[in-house]
Amino acid sequence: MPHLLAARAQMGTSLAFHIIFSVLGVGLPLLLCIAEGIALKRKDPVWMTLARRWSKAAAIIFAIGAVSGTIVEFELGLLWPTYINYTGQIIGPLFAFEGFAFFLEAIFFAIYLYGWNRLKPFYHWLCSFPIVLGGAASTWFIVTTNAWMNTPTGFIFTNGKLTGIDTVSAIFNPSTPYETVHMLLACYVACGFGVAALYAFSMLRGKRDTYRRYGLLLGLGMAVIATPLQIASGDFNARYLASKQPAKLAAMEGVFTTGTNVPLHIGGFPIYDTQTGKGTFYYAIAIPDGLSLMVGYDPNTQIKGLNEFAPQDRPNPLPIHLAFDGMVGSGFFILGIAGLFWLLYFLRKRHFPEHRLLLLGILLAGPLSFLSVELGWMVTEEGRQPWVIYGLLRTSQAVTTAPFLNYSFLTFSAIYIVLAVTMIMLLLRQGRKPLPEMKWEAVSSGNDESADVSAEQEEQVGV
Amino acid sequence: MALPSLPYIVITVLWFALIAYAVFGGADFGAGIWEILVSGPTAKEQHALIDDALGPVWEVNHVWLVFLVVGLFSGFPGAFATLVAVLFFPLTLALIGTVLRGSAFIFRTHGLRKSATIWNRIFSFSSVITPFFLGAGAAAVASGGIQDLGPKTQANLGSLWLTPFCLTIGVLSLALCATMAAIFLTVEATNQKKADLVIIFRRRGLIAGAVTAVLGAVGLAEAAFQAPTLWQGMLAHAVPLVIATMVIGVGAAVALYFGYYRIARALIIAETAFMLGSWGVSQIPYIIPPKLTVDAAASSPSTQLLLIIGIAIGMIIILPSILLLFYIFKYKGGMGLLSKGATGGTIL
Repeated sequence: MPHLLAARAQMGTSLAFHIIFSVLGVGLPLLLCIAEGIALKRKDPVWMTLARRWSKAAAIIFAIGAVSGTIVEFELGLLWPTYINYTGQIIGPLFAFEGFAFFLEAIFFAIYLYGWNRLKPFYHWLCSFPIVLGGAASTWFIVTTNAWMNTPTGFIFTNGKLTGIDTVSAIFNPSTPYETVHMLLACYVACGFGVAALYAFSMLRGKRDTYRRYGLLLGLGMAVIATPLQIASGDFNARYLASKQPAKLAAMEGVFTTGTNVPLHIGGFPIYDTQTGKGTFYYAIAIPDGLSLMVGYDPNTQIKGLNEFAPQDRPNPLPIHLAFDGMVGSGFFILGIAGLFWLLYFLRKRHFPEHRLLLLGILLAGPLSFLSVELGWMVTEEGRQPWVIYGLLRTSQAVTTAPFLNYSFLTFSAIYIVLAVTMIMLLLRQGRKPLPEMKWEAVSSGNDESADVSAEQEEQVGV
Repeated sequence: MALPSLPYIVITVLWFALIAYAVFGGADFGAGIWEILVSGPTAKEQHALIDDALGPVWEVNHVWLVFLVVGLFSGFPGAFATLVAVLFFPLTLALIGTVLRGSAFIFRTHGLRKSATIWNRIFSFSSVITPFFLGAGAAAVASGGIQDLGPKTQANLGSLWLTPFCLTIGVLSLALCATMAAIFLTVEATNQKKADLVIIFRRRGLIAGAVTAVLGAVGLAEAAFQAPTLWQGMLAHAVPLVIATMVIGVGAAVALYFGYYRIARALIIAETAFMLGSWGVSQIPYIIPPKLTVDAAASSPSTQLLLIIGIAIGMIIILPSILLLFYIFKYKGGMGLLSKGATGGTIL
């Protein structure tokens, strides 16, 4: 494998793996906080059991997320030393701030997970708030750095030297508000559907009890609020890209030449030669004037095509367009599923809809929501190529000179496979454990009875 | 006396973070090292003691490493880019160790009983390789062998980080981690009222402590020949710190011998802090001796100022939170500072 490709493959694999855990690490604490809050308000042991069992799963997920995040943090330097040299100088402090947000998350996660029987119920619940805040803050800090890579500001680059460094203006680069909101909402959408899908699965297998219904309501409740916001945020993003990241938009939509009355291509394969600038769009459904209307509410809106950029600066539209359509398609599908569920739920006067097809749809929405997170990330990363910091540093110039990157890539891939398989086995085992006896005295946190529960009960409740 | 410059404030904070990682993260690795020796009638109890001790805190202790990495690349990007380029291999190996250690610990404590032995082995193996390679890498920096600077510097295949000095410091890191872990575990075992475990870890702490002392002396002697810049710097301004390190080490051993485990724990923490402090002070004014100084490697003043403001705000939130965590899981209901735990048994 060529040197650059090996480095990109290792970085890509690491991020594709880590992003799942970051999303879960940000979204699950909110679900825990809501579930435990409802449980305390209603003194409902079922809701409390949900929070307890999920906290045990979260312990495993969070630990794997912490170690895979460390890999990413190191790899930014190990694989891309030139990149980190520029990034460190201009926007480095954000990573340090993210370190603190992660600290906050880790500290209160530890207290939350291991403190079920050591803290009074209300204080235990309070501990979930810093976790939610820490998760949201670290998302903001990290995604802001990524936004800066897309639209770098806060420095002057002349004759190979950086001057006039202004980290604050780098932090508030034009992409920051659009990207950070989109990623944070993605965490809540994906976690909501992910949790709902698990309960849809066990309900499809005939386990239709209050515990699973509450779990499904919780997941879809979060999803139905976050998903429409997410689609609106995506719409803002598209218009913003047209003005600030036109090359990315052109690649996403397969716009080869600048023009007005640009159609919106749904699906299809934009086969494009970045060197000659010639290309054809195969098998797409074209909506006349669609893209021009979306961007400027006017069919005469001009959209920049890939021809505006020098051949060596053009991204390949094929993977970007496919990833983008996959993300948007999944987004509308899951929105439809969540909408249908709640429509039926309220039409039938809060009677839980348990139609097999609907449950199957929810089951499908879980993996699709995580898939759209991955695809969205690929759109923004591939759409920036061949640059790692747009206009400042090419990916090919950023890569390390270290040898044996093939082996490094293979080693880390093997580690990820082992971790993923083991963790899934572990989570499945946890999920299969029989539910505990759901009595308030047994599952509520911080009281003396729960300290005396039998080891078996403790194992099931999750301490 | 002039106020310290911004880069020196940042490097001091990072050095304290390094000490925090060495003490807390190091003790967690040390517990993994002792896993290798777990056997006999109390094997199950020893596993449980280590699990209880690490469970609530290891992830937080690990975050110090993340903070160190990000602090170094935002405060001193040039130095960081050089280090990751030159020390690509030891750092990659340490990284693999870190990842496997964390995952193995969580896998073995959360079930997987059938394959728990495999994960136990991975847990102890990775607990050995991480401190070793981090120690060897640190020694490579201290020895002054890194002369080519910049992100495009070639990765070194071992001539810099597998020297006798680096190997000694690598093994010294292991011995120090093992000593800290043993002493921390005497306190944990006393809190759990398990006298047999207290005696086991007291003995291990004394032996590992003696090994650490010998390796420390060897490393110091080697430094005179293999780390000349460091040696000169030490003679110039770190002699009192080195003497203090030795005295505190003896104090920790005495406290451990007589069963004052809380005091021994405080002293071994101070010992580690003084050891790393001596290294840091001996290196002044270099971040990577003998060519790159702290001032030359620093990012722009505005970046440094922002970093310091951020760190100040962050620490105001984080330090009390960490204290709360340790209070709940390590202090509440535990042994008193001056109380004496179980002692006895043969040492050798």
